[in-house]
Amino acid sequence: MTPNGAVLFAAVAILGAMVSGGRGLAAGYAVAALFALTQIAPRTGACLRRAAIVMAPLAAFMLIIWVGVVGKSPQEIASNAEGTRSAALFYVATVAARLFLIVFVLQAVLLRFDHDTPFAFVRALRVPAGAKRMMILTLSLIETLRNAVDRAYTALVAAGIVTRGLSLKNLRTGWILVQTVWLTAITTVTARMRDKWPVEDTLALLDPALDGGERRLSPPDWLWLGLAVAALALGQYLVWAHG
Amino acid sequence: MAKEFIAGPNFSGRSEALLTRLRGGAQGEQRAFFIGPYAEAALSGLSSSVADEIALYRARPPRARDVFSRLDPVAAGARKPQSLSGGEQVLLALHCFSLSMHDTLGIDTALEQLDAVNRAAAIDYLSSGAFDALLIDNHAAPSGWRQTVRPPSPSPAFVIDWAALNATVVPRAAPVIDIRRLNFTYRHGPTIFRDAAAQLVPGRAYRLFGANGAGKTTLLKILVGALAPAASEIALDGKPYAPWRGGGAPIAIATQNPDQQWCGATLEEDLERRRGALPAGVAIPDIPKLAAFARALGVSGLDQHLYELPLAARKRVSWLWPLAGVHPWLVLDEPTVGQDAATRENLAALLARLCAAGHGIVFVTHDENFARLLPHAVLRVENGGISSL
Amino acid sequence: MFTTQRLIVIALCAALNFSIGSIVYLVKLPLYFDSVGTILCALLLAADRRAAFVCCLVCAVTSTLMTGLLVNPFLPWFVATDLTICLVSAFLTTHAAETFRARPPRPAAFAGSVLLYGIITGVCAAIVSAPVVVYLFGGVTGSGSAFVVAFFLKTGQQLMSAALLSGLTADPIDKTLQVLIAALLFRATPTDFVTMVRAPART
Repeated sequence: MTPNGAVLFAAVAILGAMVSGGRGLAAGYAVAALFALTQIAPRTGACLRRAAIVMAPLAAFMLIIWVGVVGKSPQEIASNAEGTRSAALFYVATVAARLFLIVFVLQAVLLRFDHDTPFAFVRALRVPAGAKRMMILTLSLIETLRNAVDRAYTALVAAGIVTRGLSLKNLRTGWILVQTVWLTAITTVTARMRDKWPVEDTLALLDPALDGGERRLSPPDWLWLGLAVAALALGQYLVWAHG
Repeated sequence: MAKEFIAGPNFSGRSEALLTRLRGGAQGEQRAFFIGPYAEAALSGLSSSVADEIALYRARPPRARDVFSRLDPVAAGARKPQSLSGGEQVLLALHCFSLSMHDTLGIDTALEQLDAVNRAAAIDYLSSGAFDALLIDNHAAPSGWRQTVRPPSPSPAFVIDWAALNATVVPRAAPVIDIRRLNFTYRHGPTIFRDAAAQLVPGRAYRLFGANGAGKTTLLKILVGALAPAASEIALDGKPYAPWRGGGAPIAIATQNPDQQWCGATLEEDLERRRGALPAGVAIPDIPKLAAFARALGVSGLDQHLYELPLAARKRVSWLWPLAGVHPWLVLDEPTVGQDAATRENLAALLARLCAAGHGIVFVTHDENFARLLPHAVLRVENGGISSL
Repeated sequence: MFTTQRLIVIALCAALNFSIGSIVYLVKLPLYFDSVGTILCALLLAADRRAAFVCCLVCAVTSTLMTGLLVNPFLPWFVATDLTICLVSAFLTTHAAETFRARPPRPAAFAGSVLLYGIITGVCAAIVSAPVVVYLFGGVTGSGSAFVVAFFLKTGQQLMSAALLSGLTADPIDKTLQVLIAALLFRATPTDFVTMVRAPART
């Protein structure tokens, strides 16, 4: 499967999740499960865990709000009906199921390609060269900032500017960590643009490294795309047939 | 092949001379490769994996040239270049150069981040390689290289008044840091310390030794309260010490990259915030005293924008808070990187004087010249423990 | 339009958007700032409003996609909100660029500009975000504003108006804080860097 095919598959699968109601999600889940079991088989459990970690707090919130506080579904509110907590629960379950499917599909696609280096993944995408450059630059700077955050945090804790735990002090002065990281990053980038890049013509090395790797959609890509489209269509049919 | 060593004191224009030479050759057939002195100056800034960094520079078709390989590219392949130590980044850069199309290599003090073994291997590679090389280094000139000596600037900037700094040293009673039992494991990561123990006694300097990932930085983070250990017992003058709960670490840090420790955009902002953050019971240094320290370190005004200073000057200003004596313990991470021999000697002497006055110092360095000048005990961090040598 | 300097600014600001999440986590702040870099990008390029808008938008889309893929898969759905923030930042907030960098500082003007443009940004963002909150999340996004939604629902509001009212309560505060941080970062940015990124494209 190619990265382009995976991106298209994810887009269609997510679109299907967005437009499907309760029963309609079943087809999407079936295709997502099939994808996970065939494409990332040993790590399907990890994928489920990651998706659950993202969804669990949100689902808990939805339960508290809709079932605990409001006690009825939006449809009952719209029709001025008395409303029941079970209707609210069904509503939460539908929304949560849709969101979980979206997260699961995204995690599965990411895991499918996590053995690729960023260059390899971006090179294979059929997007304009400028977009590739931007993605690569941003990924590199994310790592630069991450490293700076770690070091600056230690220094600011040592200086007593921020604390390790939640505190009123952090509400007042936590932004200083943002400033330190920002200014460190600017200094690094400015020096690079002034010295290393002009001397080496480093940016000119990037395009050859990213070009020429675009891959057309492969037969497995078309198969998965077809399955995602079929799931979307089936989902719509189930919604239409059963409401 | 031309091998040139550019010598001279700080602020004599060595860096600009090196870059002018590298830029001068860039337009013709030769293309230069630059490894600079500042954080991540060895890296392209275009990759987020070691494998990609190597792929970026690799010549196609490959060159018939010796490959410099002190960092295992396969083992390091998936690591992020930005998470490598300074020395590892330099080794990666040298590896990338050796695979690249570039014919000239310029290095501005970056070799100072290497340990003795890797430094010797790098110098050997530079000396014998079939390429032109220009080097700035504050440790020693490789033998057999042509030397260009930059004279000191006629109107020197950022001149340190060592006499004034030495005059500020007053007796101080630093507490004993008694690490009785230390355990720490990163979440989803390795165990760094397992019932480790050590004692840091005031009036002494300690050099932290250890391989990358052994736990030197982790130990420092625990001591300042940025990380919380598990099932541990640390005492300060016999009383329980847990800065990760409430702050109050009696430690002033100077980070390896000075930019990562500033608390403000200007020196004034930085110092005001530090003063404001001091816990109760710690004497707050007054602004005139701190301004005097800044002048002694070569900075004329507190309104100086920190990030607009040259790197070597920023490094010196990063010593201000530790040297101001606000806290009795000083932690200095690679304090002499980019500093010339005279500065190194004077700094070592000042730190020795601070120890004699009762301060405690913990430092990390690859600069053996500096380590020789500052009497110290060695603490080796390895295999989950801390041992004294 | 896209000089090397501007590409760097876009990538830096996008990386900042991404990284602020980890900073917020480290200092345990109960806030989620994901647009500080976007607003800062506009301020850095304030001299050319059109360039500020385009670069700001590329920054927002890049960081939203990266964050969406790697951290928060729900963020990309708010791309219309990103567009709105970019429009407000590039064509309105940039009017305060000189105020933010004034030396000596003008505290009243600084605070007034932060409040004004923060509230405008927040109101616009709330209006554009409400449909996404309703149709994707069913009205509850996992932040404290969910309780505000519940309150309005209990008072008899329909879901869309409850989500909108909740957004109008929370977003102006959130966006004002983000404009404040962006303004402080902009103020602290060295003049050399600002001059460099505003240099016109060479023809």
